[in-house]
Amino acid sequence: MALALTLIAQGAEAKVYRARLHADRAAQDVLLKHRFHKQYRHASLDASLTRSRVAGEARALIKCLRSGVSVPGIRMVDAPNGLLAIEWIQGSSVRFLLGSSDEPLDEPVDGDLPVSDQPQEHQHPLEPYGVSQDALMVLIGVEIAKMHLADVIHGDLTTSNMMLRLPSSSPSTSRLVLIDFGLAYTSSLVEDKAVDLYVLERAFASTHPDSEPLFTSVLNAYQTRMGKQWHAVARRLDEVRLRGRKRSMVG
Amino acid sequence: METFTYTHFPAQSSVVHIALFTSVGNAKDIRARIVKASTLGGPEGDAERGAVNFAFIDARLVTSRLHLQTAVYQAILSEAQGSLRTKTVHSEILWALNPSNNISEAIRRYGVSDSSSALLVVRIGSPDLKDVESLMRAIVDGTLSPLADLAALTDWSTVKKYYKLNGEPAIKEVAQDPEREREIVDNIIVSSVAMKSVQA
Amino acid sequence: MPVRVRRSPLAKPDRPYLALGLEGSANKLGAGIIKHDVDGSSTVLSNVRHTYITPPGEGFLPRDTAQHHREWALNVIKDAVQKSGVSMQELDCICFTKGPGMGAPLQSVALVARTLSLLFNKPLVGVNHCVGHIEMGREITGAQNPVVLYVSGGNTQVIAYSRQCYRIFGETLDIAVGNCLDRFARVINLSNDPSPGYNIEQEAKKGTQLLPLPYATKGMDVSLSGVLTSTEALTMDKRFRSDGQPKGPDDKDFFTPADLCFSLQETVFAMLVEITERAMAHIGSKEVLIVGGVGSNERLQEMMGIMARERGGQVFATDERFCIDNGIMIAQAGLLSFRMGYTTPLSRTTCTQRFRTDEVHVAWRA
Repeated sequence: MALALTLIAQGAEAKVYRARLHADRAAQDVLLKHRFHKQYRHASLDASLTRSRVAGEARALIKCLRSGVSVPGIRMVDAPNGLLAIEWIQGSSVRFLLGSSDEPLDEPVDGDLPVSDQPQEHQHPLEPYGVSQDALMVLIGVEIAKMHLADVIHGDLTTSNMMLRLPSSSPSTSRLVLIDFGLAYTSSLVEDKAVDLYVLERAFASTHPDSEPLFTSVLNAYQTRMGKQWHAVARRLDEVRLRGRKRSMVG
Repeated sequence: METFTYTHFPAQSSVVHIALFTSVGNAKDIRARIVKASTLGGPEGDAERGAVNFAFIDARLVTSRLHLQTAVYQAILSEAQGSLRTKTVHSEILWALNPSNNISEAIRRYGVSDSSSALLVVRIGSPDLKDVESLMRAIVDGTLSPLADLAALTDWSTVKKYYKLNGEPAIKEVAQDPEREREIVDNIIVSSVAMKSVQA
Repeated sequence: MPVRVRRSPLAKPDRPYLALGLEGSANKLGAGIIKHDVDGSSTVLSNVRHTYITPPGEGFLPRDTAQHHREWALNVIKDAVQKSGVSMQELDCICFTKGPGMGAPLQSVALVARTLSLLFNKPLVGVNHCVGHIEMGREITGAQNPVVLYVSGGNTQVIAYSRQCYRIFGETLDIAVGNCLDRFARVINLSNDPSPGYNIEQEAKKGTQLLPLPYATKGMDVSLSGVLTSTEALTMDKRFRSDGQPKGPDDKDFFTPADLCFSLQETVFAMLVEITERAMAHIGSKEVLIVGGVGSNERLQEMMGIMARERGGQVFATDERFCIDNGIMIAQAGLLSFRMGYTTPLSRTTCTQRFRTDEVHVAWRA
């Protein structure tokens, strides 16, 4: 697969490694995402799905790159084997930087539930980045707007899927990076953009205490960047908030 | 010349030699030899094909070391999976470098042309292949230079034209900052080469 | 380390409780009586069902289905009471399906419930059909806090419990999976007896080739109408042999109704397993419970089982007595909320065709 591998995460669809592609002292690490074979799926269906998903993610990334959206560069694609390597981002997730309430999104079990120790008051995690919390929200709003202006819908916007680069690494490149385009697709529909924002709003609410002013800052920056496209999205976002993401269905 | 080993690829394509030649004086001859070798029959033909068994790449169109490495990597991958679009792993590198699927365009643009003065020469082979540098010197009449010199050779405006980057928001955004623009162009081009096998 | 303990708000019964459940939201009419005993156990005393079966190629219409329910209500309820060995007077409450479902059949059954309530002076409890499925599944399988895949003719939802609510994580964006299978069964003229879905499943077992069909998951949601359209279109393909036989000895490149059933199941079920797995990963659960009529499909259970085992967990499923719409599940969910002190006053015993799973306050869980 690659020269040097360290497993860093395993999700439902893929294993994620930190890896080195080239035996070159100048080479930088990459993030290698391996969509593994799903035993429950018919083999030929699995093969074609894996291939098309790797392709889809790569296409969303290149579209973002060309449109000036800050996303990781692509480093290697091996679609038949379900492999995608992207630029390694040195930094932390926004979820971590905002100090998530550290409760799982949903209580996993009935009954006993241990509550983790309170995080200790060292320095604020944002300190090494030289960015204020509000400035970070602006960066988020701007990148999402740029992505939507390029008609790319992320499909899974959460604070875990955004990273802030450490200032030391590559000083001139944009600081906030949108990651994980595994569910991304292309659409120019206002509905899809509004739902994308709504998903993020829900994620803020469920992960971060007192998220309302934070998300308002995100939306303000988004609004400025979207220009005349904003009104249609804003109106639809209000509708989506009222009905929730889902429509009512007949049983 | 620099040599990189890819232990996870099949042995016959596991070692990559890359050299940068500047002040190349015989580009026209090299091109003629490649053309001739492809039609020559018999043992003489085999010998000649062996002598020119490299990828000759116009260095002005390569934006970084990673750009070339990425094209080489994807070419070896295609060979290992039996999905080469061109005849050899070396011509596959040229195909990978070019944004379109047109093979002759890839060779015309990215391969050696009569006027080339800086060439990247790549040889993909097995660990048994020795003294590749001499083999390269035997065919290229030029100054062997460190790969780091590549940065000074890149023809950014042609690169941007081939990749149709001039109208893109990513480039317009940084029009005032040439250094930043190069970084971004390089990243887009490396990414494009990496994903060429699945491009829309 | 501080530990927060949350007890179930549902106290153990101080005496045995009995409930009658009436279900008729679609083409099945069901009545069942459940007992919750002082030791915390539940017993199914009776579970009777009568299904309105239409001729091959035809679906069930609201008006005719409602008429079927009216004609059979007394027989089915009488039978349920007789088999249970208890009398109407002993019941604590009468539970009925408030929704979601087809309007006319729902109303017919609610009318029966109201009448019984007034006749025997028993309180009514309106129940959400989906919650009925979930609670019965939990009771029968013993699954504690599973991700629930609810798959039936009218519903396709991935559900997880969170803060006294069954939250919908993903669902179909258009038609339900049962609807998708039933409609295809009609296209190839499979029998509706015992159910079109069952006959699709039997047919699919004979299928050998997988034909490419659109695979449409969108985040945690699925879209099924495109798959159905494409499968239907394949019956017009010149390679399709509706009798399942080659035209002659040289006829090699062809496919059969069985191949289409196989392809449809493989594709649609893979989509469902995928969104279920995504929800499991999201909330960190290792258990999955399949409920609803399509949940009795053994291939779906098998695929879900493989996925769950890969994650170090397991799948819970029930057989057709509890998977397919029934009265006992309405009794179970209704009795749980009755024991929390909830009843539905007569003036509010209306039915609703649209009634989302996440609108129910699940008072009886921690």
